[in-house]
Amino acid sequence: MQMTEFVLPNIWVGVLVVVALFAIFYYVGYVSAKKTTSEEDLYAAGFKIGPITNGLAMAATWASLATFMGVIALIYRLQAPFVYLWIQWALSIPLLVLLYGTCLRRMKAFTPASFIKVRYGNQAAMVVIAWMCLSMVMYALGQIIGLGMAFEVLFHLPYKWALIIVGLATLGYVTIGGMYGASYNAAFQMVVMTVAMVVPMGAIMKQMGSSGWWFPPLAYGDMVPGMLAQIPEFFDMKYDYRWYFALIPAFTLGPIALPHLAMRVFTSSSLKSARWSVVWFILFLGLLFAGTYTAGFAGNYFTAVTGNTIAKPDQTILVLNVYYNPVLVAAFVVGGAVAAGLSTVGGNLMAIAGLVGADLLGILKPKMEAKKRMTYGYVALGGGGLIALLLAFNPPAFLVTSILWAFGLLATAVSPSLLLGVWWKQANKYAMIISSVACGVIYIIISPHVLKGIVVGKGLVAALGMSGAMITVPLSFVSFIVLSVIFNKMNIAAPTLADMQYIDRIHGWGDEHVESRYNSYAMPIFAVVASVIIFIWGLQPW
Amino acid sequence: MKEKLYAKEILVTIIFTIVLLIFGHFAQLFVLFPSLQSGTMWGFPVHYILPILMGWFGLLVVTIIMALVLNRLDDEIDQYGETNRAAAKGGQNQ
Repeated sequence: MQMTEFVLPNIWVGVLVVVALFAIFYYVGYVSAKKTTSEEDLYAAGFKIGPITNGLAMAATWASLATFMGVIALIYRLQAPFVYLWIQWALSIPLLVLLYGTCLRRMKAFTPASFIKVRYGNQAAMVVIAWMCLSMVMYALGQIIGLGMAFEVLFHLPYKWALIIVGLATLGYVTIGGMYGASYNAAFQMVVMTVAMVVPMGAIMKQMGSSGWWFPPLAYGDMVPGMLAQIPEFFDMKYDYRWYFALIPAFTLGPIALPHLAMRVFTSSSLKSARWSVVWFILFLGLLFAGTYTAGFAGNYFTAVTGNTIAKPDQTILVLNVYYNPVLVAAFVVGGAVAAGLSTVGGNLMAIAGLVGADLLGILKPKMEAKKRMTYGYVALGGGGLIALLLAFNPPAFLVTSILWAFGLLATAVSPSLLLGVWWKQANKYAMIISSVACGVIYIIISPHVLKGIVVGKGLVAALGMSGAMITVPLSFVSFIVLSVIFNKMNIAAPTLADMQYIDRIHGWGDEHVESRYNSYAMPIFAVVASVIIFIWGLQPW
Repeated sequence: MKEKLYAKEILVTIIFTIVLLIFGHFAQLFVLFPSLQSGTMWGFPVHYILPILMGWFGLLVVTIIMALVLNRLDDEIDQYGETNRAAAKGGQNQ
């Protein structure tokens, strides 16, 4: 059996493709810079992005470097169950828009923390900004490290030089263009990613003997018997029901609190446009993701049929392209992977800029004039990227934990404050702060990444935060709701009339206030009962 | 009118949340009911291809309906607000 590693036969073709892509990104950034004259332009692209562009940009921001590398490696390793895990990522933006996105777009928020600040006050906003910045740095760090490694492999550069080149090149075009640049570049990057994922895969499938090469995402069914002959367990649903259910608290509820996804929704030209952009998002993301599953399947099939082993499974799609396709096509696929990483980093950096430059600065220096605040926004944008780049040279082990783990952290520490804040007038600010901090810290403690002696679950479920989230997400909802009731009864920071009017306003009722609206105890009681059951279930041995 | 619109907002939000979760986590059905794990579609085991289709085209249909229903609800709430404001203005003028 031969070990196959990715080596691009002609480095200069790869250089040409990547340089050409960066030239386009810089041109878009330069043109966008001219349109950026206010904070609304810098953080929300002037609230002017249409549904198709935004749908593409949403999909690009969500689909990271992992779509080309990490996930294919995990399909290679875990097979069909990991495909099920990946499918549910598509719920992120639809749920975000449905449950709070349009409400916050109505108030013209720059980030979800802008809402938290008005709803619960400055202290609560600081807590949420801290959690969100931590997740954004982890996210951006993972992408920059991945891009550095991709450049290292592609151009045979020492890792540190690869990191400096890709890091600074990325930082430059994102900082120049602001949210306009990030939006238009992300839309273009999504097109590059999809073409790079799907079209070359058709050529690979044809050479593998599949008659479904004309539509790679769904037409590889004739390769299934060959696969099953070699790997009979590929399609097995290997885990018990709890594993599949844990995907909801760990991976569905977390991404709805991701600030870089929420900011994409806020850039929409109207509420209606935001909802239609969700439709385009699903269409484009589905195409890309289905291509990813095909690549994961083809990687396993390649190993089974040719007898070659892919030495580094995260290079599966690159290895397949070098093996079956001309060098120019393989280089273009590398370009697609680079675009996937860049679009996510762009979103991460814009989120850090919005959280620090607009939200945090608005708390610390509320009287600062907008022009000056905007300058600090650019500093935060560049500074956030620079910090992620510097961390990437010698990353702390805790920060390079899989970003999948951080989704559980957001589901625990941030999602309840957004959901209850929008849908329940009785949500209390101190209850929010206590449940967010306490449950967030518990989630970190019971993970295997900090205190190895205190871990809930084992193996992959613990490492990815699935077992942890089954405990801390319901705990966070229960503690938030119960403490809200107690604090409000004791008249400790009970919601004021202005708070309640604000909830009515963001739902579109204007100045008309009806106290009973969004004030029922039925849903909170149901949430508490369901959360207690899930919590007890999560405590059972994994 | 306002109670009806509010009830509609809550109802459609709950329904769409549940439907989105079902479509995005379609594989769970095959774990809950293992007897469904039989047969093939387009050459794939149904418990592999159906979750992929539901997580793509299924969600596509749901989000189209969601956009239509929620945009219409927004219009109804806006219209109600305008009628309300006009009535209040008329009362003040009298």
